[in-house]
Amino acid sequence: MDKLLTLTALRRVIQLTAFVFFVYGAMIFATFYTGDKLTQSLPALSCAYDQSGGDFCALIPLQHQMDHRVSSIFTQGEKVLPALMGTLITLGTVAVLILILNKAFCGWLCPLGFFQETIGMIGTKLGLTQMGTLSRETITKIRPIKWFIFLFLVLILPLLTGIGFLGHEWGNPYCSICPSRIMTTAMTGDMSQVYISQANWGYFALSLIADLLFGLMIALALFVRAPFCRICPILPMQTLFKKIGLLRLVKNGSSSCESCGNCVKACPMDIYEIQESAENKNITHADCTLCGRCIEFCPHDGVMNFKYGPVTILSSSKEGFKKRTKIDKWWRG
Amino acid sequence: MKKAVLTLIAAATLWGYGDGAVYWAPHGCDEGKAAASKHGGHGKGESAMFALMNRDGNASAQLILPDLSAKPLSFKRNTVMLPKPPMGGYYAVVAEGNGTNTVFSAVRYLSLQGRPSKISPTKLTALSKSVLEIVPDPLHREHDRYTASKSYRFVLRFHDQVLANTAVSLQTHNTPAQTVTTDGAGKFTITLPDDFKNVRIGRSENKPSEFLLTAQYREGETLYQSSLSMPYSLNPNDYWQSQSYGAGAIFIGFLGGIFLYRRSKTKGAKRG
Ligand code: SF4
Ligand code: SF4
Ligand code: SF4
Repeated sequence: MDKLLTLTALRRVIQLTAFVFFVYGAMIFATFYTGDKLTQSLPALSCAYDQSGGDFCALIPLQHQMDHRVSSIFTQGEKVLPALMGTLITLGTVAVLILILNKAFCGWLCPLGFFQETIGMIGTKLGLTQMGTLSRETITKIRPIKWFIFLFLVLILPLLTGIGFLGHEWGNPYCSICPSRIMTTAMTGDMSQVYISQANWGYFALSLIADLLFGLMIALALFVRAPFCRICPILPMQTLFKKIGLLRLVKNGSSSCESCGNCVKACPMDIYEIQESAENKNITHADCTLCGRCIEFCPHDGVMNFKYGPVTILSSSKEGFKKRTKIDKWWRG
Repeated sequence: MKKAVLTLIAAATLWGYGDGAVYWAPHGCDEGKAAASKHGGHGKGESAMFALMNRDGNASAQLILPDLSAKPLSFKRNTVMLPKPPMGGYYAVVAEGNGTNTVFSAVRYLSLQGRPSKISPTKLTALSKSVLEIVPDPLHREHDRYTASKSYRFVLRFHDQVLANTAVSLQTHNTPAQTVTTDGAGKFTITLPDDFKNVRIGRSENKPSEFLLTAQYREGETLYQSSLSMPYSLNPNDYWQSQSYGAGAIFIGFLGGIFLYRRSKTKGAKRG
C-alpha cells in the first residue's frame, strides 16, 4: 500500500473530489454555492453553464463585466471606479485564491485539467504512444496564444461589444469556445451545449470552433499531456498574481543539479526552464500547474521543493525518485 | 402596445388561460420587459410592475427579499409596483387571500441585480410563503432561465409538508392545460412546451412567454388554491442551433486529433 502512496496518487484523490464538487456540487450542497456567486467566483473552469456545479468560473463574470459594466465608462460616461467595481471584486477573489493556492488550482482542482489527465491515462492504457516532451520550438510558438485568448476573448472583444462596435455574439466569446462548457454540462447529462448555431456568421464561427476544439482536445489528450492547458486563459490570469502566492516551486540546486532533464520530461507543461541551475529561487513559471511531478522525478535530495511561505513542505529525494520511477514503470506496464 | 394586450387577452379567453386562477403576470406595458428579454436571466430591466390576475377583493401582497425579509406591497387596482431593489438576488412576489371556503395564493420569483445578498435562493424557496405552495426544486440559477423543451422539477407543499399524488396543472398561452401528478415525495417534473409563434432568429429577438402552474387541495370545507407563474424562453436548439451538426463537428475535431497522432508516430519513427 505504502508503495502506491505518492504525490500523484494524493493529487488524483483531490482532483476527483474537486471534480465532484465543481460539476455536481449544487446537487450535494444545496446551500451557499447554489446561489448567485458570479462576482465571487473561483478562477476556475467550473462552468456557470453547468447548472449542477458547486461554484462558478471567474471568466464568465469578467467577460460580462467588460460587456455590461466597464463599457459604460465609454457609452454612458459612468465613473471609472463604480464601473470597475465588479471586475475588481472578481480579480480580488482570484488574488485571494492565488495567495492561498497559487497555481495549484490547475494541478489539483481544475475539472478540465483532471478530465484531460484522465483521458491521458486512458490513452496510456490503450497502448497509444505518448508524445512526451514537445520541442522548445513548438512550446515557444504555443505559449503566447493563451495571452491572446485572455486579452482578446476575455477582455477586449466583450468590451468592444459593450461599447457597441461588435454584435451580441462577441459578448462572451471565450465561453462560446470553452471546452469546459461542453465537458461539464455533458457530464451532468445535459447535451444542450453541443450545437452549431446558424444565427449569424459570428455565432456560427464560434460554435464551430468550440465543437472542433472540444473533439480535438479529447483526441490530443490521448497522447499529448494537457493539450488545452497550453492555451488556457486561466494561466495568464493567475500569472498576474503569481508573485503573492504562498505556495511555490523553489529550486535549490546550483551544486547538485546536473541538468539531467528528468524534471522537464516529467513536466506536463514542458517547462524546459526548470532544469536551469538556480539557488533558492522561486521557479514557478507562468505555465506551471504546481502538480509537483518535477519534484517526484528529480533524483537529487532537496533540489526541487514545494514551499509554503517559509516552510518547505515537500522536497525531491533519491528515495522518492526510486519509488516514483518504479510505480511509473508498473503503471505503463 | 394596446394591440399586444388585446391579443394577450384574446389568447387567454381562447384557451381559458389561467382558468380563473389567481396568478401573477408581468404588467403588459412595462418598458423594462423588452430590456429583460434582451438579456434574460440577470434581472436587468426585469419588470417592476406585476398584475394579480383574477384578484379577489381581500388579497394582500408582499415582496420577499433575498435576505428573506418581507416588505408589504400595496395594490393599485390589481397591480403592484416593486420598490427599487436594495440588494441583488432572488425575490419572491407573494399574494394571499381568501373567499368563501377558499384560500388562494400566487407566487412568482424574479432575479434582480445588485450587491449579492449571500443567501442561497434555496432558502428563499424553502421559506413557507403560503399554506399551499408550488416550489421550484431548485430555482434555476442566475445564468439560466426556464427554457422550452427542457424539464424542470417542482415540489408541492401544504402546511410545509409535501403533498403526494396531487394533480398540478401546467399551461402556457399557446398550449392548453395538461395535468401532472406529484409523486410520493410531492415532486413533479414538467417539460416546457416549444410553442413559440413567429420565431425570429436570435434569442434576443424573441420575447419570453409565460407558463402557469396551478394546484388545489381540499381540507374539510376549505379549498386551497395556489399558483406559480414564471417566464420561459424559447430553446435555440429547437430552431437555429443544430445539435447533430454540433456532434458532427466534435467528431471531425476528434478525427483531426487522430490524424495528428498518426503523423506524430510516423515522425517519431523516422527520428528514432
Ligand atoms: S464556458 Fe468556460 S469560461 Fe465560460 S463559465 Fe464555463 S468554464 Fe468558464
Ligand atoms: S490551465 Fe488546465 S488545469 Fe489550469 S485552469 Fe486551464 S484547463 Fe484547468
Ligand atoms: S514545473 Fe513542476 S510543478 Fe510545474 S507543471 Fe511542471 S512538473 Fe508540474
